[in-house]
Amino acid sequence: MARSVDVLALLRQASPVTRREILKRAALGGISGPALMAMLRSDASAAPAGPAPRLRQRSQDGEPVQGGTLVLTGHQEIASLSPDDTGPTVHWVMITQIHNALVEMDENLQFNPVLAESLPEVSEDGLTYTFKLRQGVKFHDGEEFTSEDVKYTYEWYMNPDNAAINAADFAMVEAVEAPDPYTVIVRMKEPYAPFLARVASKFIVPAHYHSQVGETEYKGKPIGTGPFKLKEWRPAEYTEVEAFEDHFRGRPHLDAIREEVVPEPSVRAIGLETGEAHSSVWPLTPEDNIRLAEDSNFVVFVTSAFAVNHFPLNNKLPQLSDKRVRQAMMYAIDRETVIDEIFQGAAVVATSNLSPAMGDFYNPNVKEYPYDPDQANALLDEAGWVMGSDGVREKDGMKLSFVCTTITGDQTRRPEAELVQQYLKEVGIDMQLQEAPVATILEQLRKGEMDASLFNWTYGGDYADPDDGGTLRSDGGSNFSQFQNARVDELLDAGLREIDREKRIAIYHEIQEIIAEEVPFLFISYWDWYNIFSSKVKGLPESALVGDQIYAKAYQWWIEE
Amino acid sequence: MLRYITIRLLQGVVVIFLVSITSFIIMQLAPGDPVDILIGEQQITPEQIAAIERKWGLDRPWYVQYFTWLGNVFTGDFGTSVVRTGQPVREMIFEAAPQTIKLNLLSLIVSMLIAIPIGVLAAVKRYSLFDYGSMVGATLGIALPNYWIGLMLIIVFSLKLGWLPPYGSGSWKSYILPVAVLASQEMAILARLSRGTTSEALSQDYVTTARAKGLRDRTVVTRHVVRNALLPVVTMIGYRIAFLLSGTIVVETIFAWPGIGQLFFNSIDRMDYQVVQAIVLLLATLVVVANLVTDLVYAYIDPRIRVR
Amino acid sequence: MSIQAATEETPAQAILETGTARRSEWSRVWRRFKRYKPGLAGATLVIALIFIAIFAPLIAPYSPTEKVGRRATPPSAEFWLGLDEIGRDVLSRLIFGTRVALIVGIGAMAIALIIGVTIGAVAGYFGGTVDLALSRVIDALMAFPLLALLITLSALFEPHLRTVVIVIGVTVWASYARVVRAEVLSLRERDYVIAARAIGARSPRIIARHMLPNVIGPVIVLASLDVGSIIILESALSFLGLGVQPPTPSWGGMLSAGRSLMRNAPHIAIAPGVAITLTVLAFNLMGDGLRDALDPRQRE
Repeated sequence: MARSVDVLALLRQASPVTRREILKRAALGGISGPALMAMLRSDASAAPAGPAPRLRQRSQDGEPVQGGTLVLTGHQEIASLSPDDTGPTVHWVMITQIHNALVEMDENLQFNPVLAESLPEVSEDGLTYTFKLRQGVKFHDGEEFTSEDVKYTYEWYMNPDNAAINAADFAMVEAVEAPDPYTVIVRMKEPYAPFLARVASKFIVPAHYHSQVGETEYKGKPIGTGPFKLKEWRPAEYTEVEAFEDHFRGRPHLDAIREEVVPEPSVRAIGLETGEAHSSVWPLTPEDNIRLAEDSNFVVFVTSAFAVNHFPLNNKLPQLSDKRVRQAMMYAIDRETVIDEIFQGAAVVATSNLSPAMGDFYNPNVKEYPYDPDQANALLDEAGWVMGSDGVREKDGMKLSFVCTTITGDQTRRPEAELVQQYLKEVGIDMQLQEAPVATILEQLRKGEMDASLFNWTYGGDYADPDDGGTLRSDGGSNFSQFQNARVDELLDAGLREIDREKRIAIYHEIQEIIAEEVPFLFISYWDWYNIFSSKVKGLPESALVGDQIYAKAYQWWIEE
Repeated sequence: MLRYITIRLLQGVVVIFLVSITSFIIMQLAPGDPVDILIGEQQITPEQIAAIERKWGLDRPWYVQYFTWLGNVFTGDFGTSVVRTGQPVREMIFEAAPQTIKLNLLSLIVSMLIAIPIGVLAAVKRYSLFDYGSMVGATLGIALPNYWIGLMLIIVFSLKLGWLPPYGSGSWKSYILPVAVLASQEMAILARLSRGTTSEALSQDYVTTARAKGLRDRTVVTRHVVRNALLPVVTMIGYRIAFLLSGTIVVETIFAWPGIGQLFFNSIDRMDYQVVQAIVLLLATLVVVANLVTDLVYAYIDPRIRVR
Repeated sequence: MSIQAATEETPAQAILETGTARRSEWSRVWRRFKRYKPGLAGATLVIALIFIAIFAPLIAPYSPTEKVGRRATPPSAEFWLGLDEIGRDVLSRLIFGTRVALIVGIGAMAIALIIGVTIGAVAGYFGGTVDLALSRVIDALMAFPLLALLITLSALFEPHLRTVVIVIGVTVWASYARVVRAEVLSLRERDYVIAARAIGARSPRIIARHMLPNVIGPVIVLASLDVGSIIILESALSFLGLGVQPPTPSWGGMLSAGRSLMRNAPHIAIAPGVAITLTVLAFNLMGDGLRDALDPRQRE
């Protein structure tokens, strides 16, 4: 006996919900907007300090105009247009124009049925999901979309031979059935809370086409049901999609969308100012963000991140293995100044692994680390690190020195590392800097072969679920800090099994307390995320909680010259 | 002559192989592979990572990877890019190379037209104000970092004046700024080189004789000296090819120019080794051929230089 | 092609070479050098830079590595060139940066020179298989994409000024090797060298006493020009994140850090840009002057 589940209630329970992809793509994703801001402010003193988002009235936009090309800029090449490669934001922004999923999450974290007629019916045991599909939906090649396409797509991910990047999302799926052309039944091995976000929102590829050309060719010649179809794919230069006349929601107002590759952030800002482009899908420098946000020629969405801007530290390194040393580092860093100067105030001080955007799951009552160099010195003295003649502390002939490797060409975070280097030096800690490619940093951190780094990453917050066994568990695949804590492992296991919301909250509050106490990594801040649009673009959403998601609504926009 | 060319070419093959295998080994020494980029922040198990690595053949020992790749090269298959999930490297290079060639060819022509007359004139009027001025100017062209010039030009000509597009490679207008940046450096080098060879030529016996015979300076210069001034152009082209990447990469990055320089740097950044290997191989070949051609052209232009 | 005409010596002279002969040779060079005014100006500037580098702690108003104010503060009476991307004094960093520039420029040049001259001389003197093998190594280095080499080398070693100097040094020596090899190759068959060999002089001695003095001219010119290009190379490396690392003030690093603030705080990038330009200019003009002074055929 299946019964209809109030999905919205489910979502509210876990509210606010986000999608793991957002965070994954951006390493930064976000949530904010008026609603959340209000919620947070009423909540506690933990209200974010970032600039308030500008409220817009869509009714002022006038009547839609047909035609025009929306020009976007991204920071790196659009290497693939396959739904399995939605990782980078620059990919996702184009892939979402070409494809649709059964349900899609919008910029305000709501799940809406798209290729499905409605949200799925869920069996009482939570093991069976039944979708009724929308009829009369056409792929770009004119073929009709049916349940076979859904079955094919999901099974493609499940097949280990394909070594799909998103295979893990389907680990709990037992089987996908297509009893008739407009019904899809997904059977789970175990109840699986993030089903909608992880499985039902995967973009559908046409079975007849994908099976014929294969994934490799598909990534450059995708065919979907989306409002735009691929016109030209020049990965290193630009990708252009054009309006799909037979789109089931009607032809979009825009004739085309082109995403251009412009690596240099200051040049992307200039491109917006000269009118060369309408929006940059990847953020500009903090200074450019602030300047354009104050310019009436632009419409700006400010959302705040789930990801924490942090320095992962190798806890197994002898210099860093003592928690007092790591705590001392937290006291030594003036994070208010880091945010105020480097990020122009567009961030909030981090308290632990979860951001205030997590609502109830966020625990503001954890050990705090105000700027206090005296306390830092005292802790280091206590830990036995004696100030050496060169201004660097020593213990048993070992220098309190380590290397922080930042991402090559990371113009935004690089000064942050330099400033932190200053603060650490003042208490006798020598943090050297170097730069390396991302691929090198991630691999070396995963293997515990790197001392420290600096980037933003989510430590819990996928689909607003506070779990992140991947980063905090002793055996986590992305345990960058080589953090080993039996109690946290235990809590993470318990948290996954616990269904009672209040009890879950208590579990994750305790994890945050432990993280704040143990300081496995230096948590610096939660960023504000800027999405800037030329004011010529009309029909934009009135508000947004997640920046990247805004681009999925491009089919509703038009350009007024 | 033919024997000489054959020997040089054979030596060239050795050089290319040396370059290729060394760069491959160095890439292998640096940790990280493109799969780390592919998976991003996706929650994934070590087994799944291993499966993806297996799919791309990255689990094989380095020498197997290298010689398999090298073997394929002889059949015209330069491998596939992991980051562009399976796109043939040949395609990527065919897309990027013309962009870089266009840019460099144009800037070479522009700088030749401007710099050679300046260099010759500076040599003829040695120790004059013109000589000092042009040589200081030329040095500036070498000394100013090209991303600095590039950003300045964008700010002035795109943002302030609105005359030219700030980036892209769409219209003829978009060529002006990147070509100007590249040419500013080439001109500098070329002007200095042609001043050097011209003044050397001017001090040669036959020029002195010609002058002594009463030929006017202009005739001497045009008849005997300009021929020598062409030598630096040849050197310049050889130089340009050897420094093709380092010369263009910054310009390509700033002006969002989808050329080989960007492709190469991005591929190193992502440890996409088959792409890097293919570009290294092509460039090494180009340099070897360019060196040979330079030597032959030298021998042709300047008979005094024997081909050894 | 070069100075061998002037320094060509008879076997007896070469073997019994005296200090006086050398001295007069150098005073002639100095006389010729003085005549080329830009070269003289360049040399003066180089000397000034060396002074700045030596006395940096006395000249600099602030510490080059400490935050003294807000990020990107524009120039003022207090801070003549403003503050950098984290609030350090740009002028003080510029002054201390002179040290780094000269250490990198001269240090890497010296390494390149030593490797290049040794390999070039050995290849040229022994010829045959040795020459063939070494020449291919030289060719390979010239054909090697420097970028790939530098990126991986920097990733493999710890970040330090030393690393940058060594990495640049060991990658740019090929031009010295080429020049020296060509010179030595042509000197090898000279009478006085043959004579020296005949009286039983050992190879290292012959190379050091009779050959290297003859290649010193072109090598000095190359070296003085190289200092400039190495300083530029360091700034290009900084652009790619592989240069001298903060807090050590390097002009290239400062320029690269100022790049993203070019619109809002142009002073951060302009100051090191001007410093690099002037320094490279100085070394190049000095090199030009030396070239003219050392190349006897260009005497008027």
